Amino acid sequence: MPIEINTHYGQIDISNEVVATIAGGAAIDCFGIVGMASKNQIKDGITEILRKENFSRGVIVRQQDERVEIDMYIIVGYGTKISEIARNVQQKVKYTLNQTVGLSVDAINIYVQGVRVANP
Amino acid sequence: MVTSLDGKRFAEMVIQGANHLAANAKTVDALNVFPVPDGDTGTNMNLTMTSGAKEVQKNVQAHIGAVAASFAKGLLMGARGNSGVILSQLFRGFSKSIETKAHISAKEFAAAFQAGIESAFKAIMKPVEGTILTVAREAAKKGVQTAKTEKDLAAVMEAILGEAKTTLSRTPDMLPVLKEVGVVDSGGQGLVFIYEGFLAELKGEELPDTPSVMPSMDELVNAEHHKHVQDFMRTEDIKYGYCTEIMVRLDRSKPSAKTFSEERFRSDMSRFGDSLLVISDDDIVKVHVHTERPGDVLNYGQQYGSLIKLKVDNMREQHSAIVGETHHALVGENEAEQAQKEKKDYGVITVAMGDGIAALFKSIGADVVIEGGQTMNPSTEDILKAIEETNAKQIIILPNNKNIVMASEQAAELAEEKVAIVPSKTVPQGMAALLAFNPGQPFDKNVQAMEEALGRVKSGQVTNAVRDTNIDGISIKKGDYMGIYEGKIVKTSPTLLEASGQLLSHMIGAEDEIATVIYGKDVSKEQVNELVSYIETNWPEMEIEVHEGRQPLYSFILAVE
Repeated sequence: MPIEINTHYGQIDISNEVVATIAGGAAIDCFGIVGMASKNQIKDGITEILRKENFSRGVIVRQQDERVEIDMYIIVGYGTKISEIARNVQQKVKYTLNQTVGLSVDAINIYVQGVRVANP
Repeated sequence: MVTSLDGKRFAEMVIQGANHLAANAKTVDALNVFPVPDGDTGTNMNLTMTSGAKEVQKNVQAHIGAVAASFAKGLLMGARGNSGVILSQLFRGFSKSIETKAHISAKEFAAAFQAGIESAFKAIMKPVEGTILTVAREAAKKGVQTAKTEKDLAAVMEAILGEAKTTLSRTPDMLPVLKEVGVVDSGGQGLVFIYEGFLAELKGEELPDTPSVMPSMDELVNAEHHKHVQDFMRTEDIKYGYCTEIMVRLDRSKPSAKTFSEERFRSDMSRFGDSLLVISDDDIVKVHVHTERPGDVLNYGQQYGSLIKLKVDNMREQHSAIVGETHHALVGENEAEQAQKEKKDYGVITVAMGDGIAALFKSIGADVVIEGGQTMNPSTEDILKAIEETNAKQIIILPNNKNIVMASEQAAELAEEKVAIVPSKTVPQGMAALLAFNPGQPFDKNVQAMEEALGRVKSGQVTNAVRDTNIDGISIKKGDYMGIYEGKIVKTSPTLLEASGQLLSHMIGAEDEIATVIYGKDVSKEQVNELVSYIETNWPEMEIEVHEGRQPLYSFILAVE
């Protein structure tokens, strides 16, 4: 179901994929994020880091009644303050969606699916 | 010359860095445009750095590895915002590389900065050039180079700081958003302040009270405005409408200027509006404020001395020019007027030529009749105006001409109300459709019923040819009367009666019961009577209705159903 915005001149429909891609793009701008994880691989216990073209697969846009909620599955770098990164992502995504498509998101749920430990 | 750095000295450096950043946090905030222009980079970095410094103060000892570890831990725990997280990561790498060392040389010092960069870049997926990371990276690179030959830590730090500043000044070229706003990167600026603190300690110097890289008033104003444009999507939302800038030369002979304090001046000014910026030196105060009452600002400023520069911009005008909402604002006024009247359920708009036809449409229920037709198509705007005029929640438009259907559709898209178009192509169709309208029915049902009604009526028109022509195989002479049936010329004749009669014989079928004649303004009563008797003679079973349409061009508009 696309997101509809009514303006003076008519209606704008923005598909959920677009919202997901914008949200994904905004998230990976944040420091501390090393990748997006696919939601569908949770059950296998394998969290594969999504390549850039697919990172919107780690972003689920849901609409319930009038509310727009976004679930984001992220992988963070080791040694960072994860809670703060999650918060940064929430802020950044909310801000970016508001600025680029005028969409006010009601909730952004962050699922930290993995921590990547790089060799020190 | 500092050739070896121990924990105690490093702790002092951290504290100096934190203090220097704290003193300049506001400056950094003002620069903040990226990535989220909420103006808190300075605050976030400051809180992060303060947390780091506190942890260091708890654990001051000679072993630098232990002190650096405390610093990294404090930064990590207190990391706030994107810039804070980056800062914590930079010093996490830094502390890791000197973990086991009791004191470090210049080379190890530079290598630690480099390690910090490596650690930070591991935690980012998509590094953007022109941010704090770029500043830190270029600075560390320079540090490593310098440390190859230099034994003095202060000299290394100086090189690092120098390169950080140079890179910082280049950030607008790397990141378009910075250039657009005309500022340098805020996180990078914060890092420069920290490095300045470090260097001051190593050199044993006092830090200057005023920040070394004070952003200019213009930079600050640009940043404020940039935030503003993004804050307001709609012109009506602007609370303070005038961007007011004044420059006051303090006149010490005035009583209020004698005791001038920037602090008080700022707090007084803040009552007038928002986006306040005040910069002062010994004898000049520059003020930028967004206010609704620029006069108050001027009066207040004048208490302190003479106004040497004034600028007041109406931001609502600027903003509506930016968003192209001028038209909307005008419509908005109209709307307000209309809104005072209760909106009714239905409105019907139709288009017709001739005041007789207009009156006819009104008598059968049209709310607004727009004047127009074949030769004078109403514009989308005319139709939009009519839509507003109806003051109804749901509107049905009968264009009565195929050339007006398009404009009606555009108007329907632009209108905020629910608008449907019943594509009537002729006046008789429009009338038939309007007669099918029932205000008690729901919108969709009505539209459907009206569209069905279009097909039930046959429309004919009789008009003069304006020149010799040849259409559809029929040659027409100028001045001839043409009978047009559903848009097609079926008959031409030098006399009006013959053309009309022939046209009617095309139109009337066995199942038809009513013939309606609407006569134009250049038709005489006799001509009308002639036609009526012609119909009575030829189709005695037909009922005849005659209306005075007073339309130009078309002598007769005929409807058969």
